[in-house]
Amino acid sequence: MSDMVRKANAFEILNHWVMAISFFILTITGFAFLFKLEQMNAVFGSFHQMRTIHNWTGVVFSASLFFSLFSYLIEALIFTGEDAVWLIKAGGYFSKKMKLPAQGRLNAGQKGYYLLLLLTGGAIAASGFVIWLMPGVKKWILISHLAHNISFDLLMLAVPSHIYLATLANPGTFRIMVYGTVPLEWARKRHARWVQKMGF
Amino acid sequence: MSTTKRKSLIISPELCIGCRGCQTACKEWNQLSATKTTNKGTIENPPDLTPNLFNRIRYLEVPSETNPVRWLFVSQRCMHCDDAGCMKICPAPGAIYKTKEGIVAYDKEKCIGCKLCVAGCPFNIPRYDEKNKISKCHLCSDRVAEGLVPACAKTCPTGAISYGDRDDMLAKAHAAGYQKLYGQADLGGLGTLYAFKDAPKVYGMDENPAIPESVVFWHKVLKPLAYWGLGGAVAASLLHYVAFGPKKDEEVK
Repeated sequence: MSDMVRKANAFEILNHWVMAISFFILTITGFAFLFKLEQMNAVFGSFHQMRTIHNWTGVVFSASLFFSLFSYLIEALIFTGEDAVWLIKAGGYFSKKMKLPAQGRLNAGQKGYYLLLLLTGGAIAASGFVIWLMPGVKKWILISHLAHNISFDLLMLAVPSHIYLATLANPGTFRIMVYGTVPLEWARKRHARWVQKMGF
Repeated sequence: MSTTKRKSLIISPELCIGCRGCQTACKEWNQLSATKTTNKGTIENPPDLTPNLFNRIRYLEVPSETNPVRWLFVSQRCMHCDDAGCMKICPAPGAIYKTKEGIVAYDKEKCIGCKLCVAGCPFNIPRYDEKNKISKCHLCSDRVAEGLVPACAKTCPTGAISYGDRDDMLAKAHAAGYQKLYGQADLGGLGTLYAFKDAPKVYGMDENPAIPESVVFWHKVLKPLAYWGLGGAVAASLLHYVAFGPKKDEEVK
C-alpha cells in the first residue's frame, strides 16, 4: 500500500456525518412541510411530531455548521492567484486537457462551496429559529419564511452538486469522509501546494 | 338549501344595531367560554377576537358635518377567502381546509401549532387556544353541512348578517343597488361580503386586501424551484458524468 496522508481528522469526519445526516432529515421533513405530503404521517407518526423532529434536527445542524467554522473558514476566506486560475478554467471539469495550477488543501470550488454553505446554512438556521421561537410575529415570520425558503432552494442546487463532485466525479475522494486519509500520490496531483507545505 | 353551492354572508353595517346577539349565539353554538374583560366605555367588547371569540362587533364613530352622529357597527370574523393565505402557508395537510360550501374550516387534531397562518392571513383572524391550536370562525361548518344557517346569521334580528348561496346573495345585493360589494373579487372572492355605503376605510377595512407578496412569491416561484432545482442539479451532475466523465487519477495533470 502506498503512503497515506491525513486530509481530515476524526472530529472533522464525525462533524461532516452529523451535518450530512441532519441535513438529510431536514430536507425530507422540509419537503413534507413544503408540499403537505400526507404520506409522511406514516414515517413520522404525525406532522406535529415531524415538526418537533425538524426543529431539533435543526439545532443539531446548526451546531455542526458552527463547528465547521474551525475547520474551513479561515482557509476559505483566503483567495489566491491559483484560485483565480482554477475558477477561470472551471476546475478542469469541462476539459480533460486543462492544466491546473498547484492547489492548497482546498481549491477555489471547495472554498466557494463552503462560503455558500455557511451563508445559506446560517440563513436557514437563523430564520428557522425565528419561525420556531417567535410564532405569530407577522413581520419577522414573513421575512424568515422567505429567507428559509430561498436558502433551501439554493441548498437544493448546491448540495447534490457537492455530493456528485465528492463521489462520482472524483473517484477516491469519498474515502476522506470515511477514513480521513488519501494516498500521497493522489494528494500530490490535486493538492500539491498543501502536500509541499506539509513537507512530503 | 343546497349544500353544494358556495355559501356566503353579507354584512350590512347600516342595519346593525350593535346588540351583539351574534357574538352570544356564536359562543353558544360553538361552546366557547366567556372571557373577563374590562369596560372601556364603548360597546366594542371584548376589544379583539380571541380563541374563544370567533366574531365581534367593531364600533366606530364617524362624525361628519352633515351627520354629526354616525355610528357604525361592523361585524368582524374570518372572511373565508377563496384564495386563503392561511391555507396556502399552512404546512400541515388537512389542518386548514375548504368545505364544499367554500368555508375555510380547520381540524385542530391536525394543527401543528406553528402559527404560520397568522402571518399568511391578510385580515388578522386566526387565534390560538390554550393547547396552541388554531381557533377562528368556521362559519358554523357543522350547521351548514346540515343545511342550517350559521348561528350569527340565524340570531341576527335586523338582517345585518344575512346568509345564503353566494351567487344569489350577490345578485340580490346588486338588484338592491349595491354596484360592488366589499370582497366580491378580492382574494378570489371572499365568503364574508360587506354591503358598504362608503369607502371601506371608513369602516376600518383595507381597500385592497391581499396575501402578503412574499407568500405569493414563495408559492409561485420558490416552491416549484425546490424540486426543479434538486432535480436539475442531479440531472446536470449525471449529464456531466456522461459528457465529461470523472477525473480519473491517471488523467489529473
